[in-house]
Amino acid sequence: MSPSRPPGSPASPEDEGVGIPVVVPSVDAAPHSQPVAWRHRHLLDVDILSADETELVMRTTDAMREVLGRPIAKVPALRGTNVTILFYEASTRTRVSFEVAAKNLSADVVNIATATSSVVKGESFLDTLRTIEALGAGMLVLRHSHSGAAQLAAEHFGGSVLNGGDGWHAHPTQALLDLYTMRRRLPGGTVAGRKVVILGDALHSRVARSNIWSLTAAGADLWVCGPATLVRGLEAWAGSGVGPASRRFTVTSDVNAALRDADVVMALRLQQERMSGGLLPSLREYSARFGLTRERLALARPGALVMHPGPINEGVEIAPDVAEGIQSVITEQVANGVAVRMALLYLLAGVRGPR
Amino acid sequence: MSGRQIMSADELRRATVRISHEIVEKQAGTSGLLLVGIQRRGVPLAHRIAAAIAEHESAQIPVGALDITFYRDDLSLVAQQPVVKGTSLPFDINGMTVVLVDDVLYTGRTIRAALDALMDFGRPSVVRLAVLVDRGHRELPIRADHVGKNVPTSREETVRVHLAEVDGEDSVEIERMADLPGGAPAA
Amino acid sequence: MNAASGSGSNVGSGQNGATGPGGALARGRAAAASAELEISRAWLVDPATGREGPGELVVRDGVLRAVTWLRGADAAGVGPDGVIVVPGFTDLHAHLREPGDEAAETIASGLAAAAHGGFTTVCAMADTTPAADEPGVLIRVRALAAASGSPVRVLGVGALTAGRAGERLAALGELADAGAAAFSDDPAPVRSASILRSALAYAGMLGVPVVEHAVDPGLSHGAEANDGLVATVLGLRGSPAAAEEAAVGRDLAILADVVRDVPGVRLHLAHLSTAGSIALVRRAKAAGLPVTCDVTPHHLALTDGWLAGSRRWAWDGSDNPWADGPLAAAPYASSLRVEPPLRSAADAAACLVGLLDGTVDAVATDHAPIARPDREVEFGMSVPGIAGIETALGLLLAAVDAGRLPLARAIAALTSGPARVLGPRPASTAPGLIVGARADLVVIDRSAGWTVGPATIRSLGAPSPLVGRDLPGLVLLTIADGRLAWEASGA
Repeated sequence: MSPSRPPGSPASPEDEGVGIPVVVPSVDAAPHSQPVAWRHRHLLDVDILSADETELVMRTTDAMREVLGRPIAKVPALRGTNVTILFYEASTRTRVSFEVAAKNLSADVVNIATATSSVVKGESFLDTLRTIEALGAGMLVLRHSHSGAAQLAAEHFGGSVLNGGDGWHAHPTQALLDLYTMRRRLPGGTVAGRKVVILGDALHSRVARSNIWSLTAAGADLWVCGPATLVRGLEAWAGSGVGPASRRFTVTSDVNAALRDADVVMALRLQQERMSGGLLPSLREYSARFGLTRERLALARPGALVMHPGPINEGVEIAPDVAEGIQSVITEQVANGVAVRMALLYLLAGVRGPR
Repeated sequence: MSGRQIMSADELRRATVRISHEIVEKQAGTSGLLLVGIQRRGVPLAHRIAAAIAEHESAQIPVGALDITFYRDDLSLVAQQPVVKGTSLPFDINGMTVVLVDDVLYTGRTIRAALDALMDFGRPSVVRLAVLVDRGHRELPIRADHVGKNVPTSREETVRVHLAEVDGEDSVEIERMADLPGGAPAA
Repeated sequence: MNAASGSGSNVGSGQNGATGPGGALARGRAAAASAELEISRAWLVDPATGREGPGELVVRDGVLRAVTWLRGADAAGVGPDGVIVVPGFTDLHAHLREPGDEAAETIASGLAAAAHGGFTTVCAMADTTPAADEPGVLIRVRALAAASGSPVRVLGVGALTAGRAGERLAALGELADAGAAAFSDDPAPVRSASILRSALAYAGMLGVPVVEHAVDPGLSHGAEANDGLVATVLGLRGSPAAAEEAAVGRDLAILADVVRDVPGVRLHLAHLSTAGSIALVRRAKAAGLPVTCDVTPHHLALTDGWLAGSRRWAWDGSDNPWADGPLAAAPYASSLRVEPPLRSAADAAACLVGLLDGTVDAVATDHAPIARPDREVEFGMSVPGIAGIETALGLLLAAVDAGRLPLARAIAALTSGPARVLGPRPASTAPGLIVGARADLVVIDRSAGWTVGPATIRSLGAPSPLVGRDLPGLVLLTIADGRLAWEASGA
């Protein structure tokens, strides 16, 4: 244990030997009652989170929701921190959510979208990262079309990397805001034992993959349902598991079996390119067989939550009256998204890299 | 109990009651008065003071909780982010007299953060400060209006307030940092 | 010198005149000079005769003068775990990158790497810029090899179609006249079945084998990894085993068609990677088709689990890297991007079985160095390829050490196997410990190993996925065409 570490705070491999002078918190008077500490410098996916760490994210998100309810919904926690938001994919919603989150914490926000950067001039990803770091970025929020890009960024960027979505691989902030929303809305405040259905194009979905990790870890009875061409390969994951046996889940193309007695139904966005790729005959056919309609939702438990990561193709993966119905928590997902991202930016800002 | 006791449970109770009287006296009554405890031990202290006022004034003073974590000036220096305990101010502070309550007044930085946090919620007409222990060594121009006990200390010492709501017992101790596990300073 | 081994072997060589056993190895000799070497009490492996055992050999003036097999008391204490001497290796498949991509490799650096790996003959693939679709490129490559001073022999592979574009036949006859050892459009497959049919017939007439990268481009389009659990969990685009097997099936059907009219036709399927492909070739060979195939060291020893962060050898892991215990490395290492992709442990095991039962004729490295800027990118953006010519022996010896592969079979897969694939045309002599021939051999210390890293690797390109790994078997000496091609520092 480093002599300057506050007593009671567990040693973590990531801050061991970093050599930063640790100033003792002059506020927190309970050195021995310090709850689980955050030790991750990067958040690339939810698979690295222990149950305690997930709990810490949830509690910190509670605090951020309170901040969002204030007359001045802004706190100085990240004052002086440069948060660079680098998006290689067009996604106004997610980018704005991160931007609002960072600004609510008083961070200095730099936005880089591919269309306006030298990325289009053939500058390599690592060159871009080096430039961003040289410009003073302490935290990087990255959206990239290639799976594994966030991992590459974490290996080369001197600060913290928060994965805003990489390829088909991971979208950890979405999975955590989904979990947060479910816990707030489900009776008992837990997803354990609840039947949660991810409905749609799971094969090409980073939202689905991150939710598979977080929901199986939280003990949900997880079902993944979609056309055979869009859930292909997931059966091997569902059956063999990549963790403890308790983290198995169910994959099916039988939408009625999936929805029956479900507590939560999460519809995924269907990309137009699935048709051109020959994976589906038509949007109409998809909607008819797998769209979340009022009739299908009636198979679920009364009051089952309806969720969607957005943006919605109304009338394709979800019927308008379901998306806007009383069971829908889609708007709440958006609001919770800001709070979850504030919580993660706050937690990550406390762990510095070995400069 | 490793340190030297400087306040017993009884002394702690008497100091709380005395502070409650001073607050009412200074306000010349209870109208327009709000108590805001600073997380963490300021919150149960604020509730105790409110209970004491309720007893001798038969008036219910609203109590809020203020978490100043996001306003700390050392966030960029601490090894790990402090855990946020939450703010709850279920009232309008505009034009009111707000009494901030904390357990120990030391450098004054916590109070500076609390003042900043408070101002984001509105514009109180008056802000006062009540603390159980003032141990000196101010680093900012801040003083307390109501003090349970003034305790001369050295910087090598630490003052620990134990409250039944948080720690299972009431007492205040002083100990040298070298006696602490890991030898690190705290509070 | 005394080779660092527990078996008491003596390796002696010198520039001028004989050096007796125990003599020092002189260093800094001109590469052009002929090697002088005496080795006593080593383990000899001779795939030409199928013989292995304790023995001694003498090289004078670059010629193997004597091979003595030891018996009885003389042989006592000499085993395959000390110094072993084997014929020089032949690599059927190496991308030497010059001309066109000299940042990744040059002929000189590629031959230095080959010698370090124990290879004395290298087939240089035709995917240079420009492609080797006419004799000029083959002649240039040969000139560059001569200029490098390396005694490692380069055999040029000619392109099968003009510009490797798959539309018109390349100048096959002229390429054959210029010494092309084989024809291949690798790393591209021949998309058109009709062109492949013509090419096989024409090359068969010339007596030159066709080397095919068998993959269905439709099924593998955009793929980043083997289609399976790992790709599913990591969200990588998968190339199914069917992409390779469909092409193998097509190619074999066309071969069966061509062989009826052109008995001299020979098809070689490069770097097969799936259990299904191996099964198809096994059946085709049983039916008497003139097909040969190879597998790469990395498809034998590595799996797609490495993409997830596993660093277990294929024979030590399962198809589920997460079930095998903690992962040793970070996922998505771009250095593991390769075509065909690293497959499952079951596929790797099937490749090994194919090697053991003779379905697989050879181990070829598919040495594919990648320039750093092409590799230090997102996993899916990386140019595929593993530079494996220096680590091939180590990976095979790891399988030997694990009890999965007999030493003699491993050596045969690097020597007599590839020679059989190439046929009699380019090779003056079959590889073997042949007295009276120019010495072409590798001296390996099986009691020592080495660590893969920038200091030990001669290839120019971006780091291999094996960097940091300890591999068994240190190549002490490589002698090609009677001349010293590689000498371990400190040997």
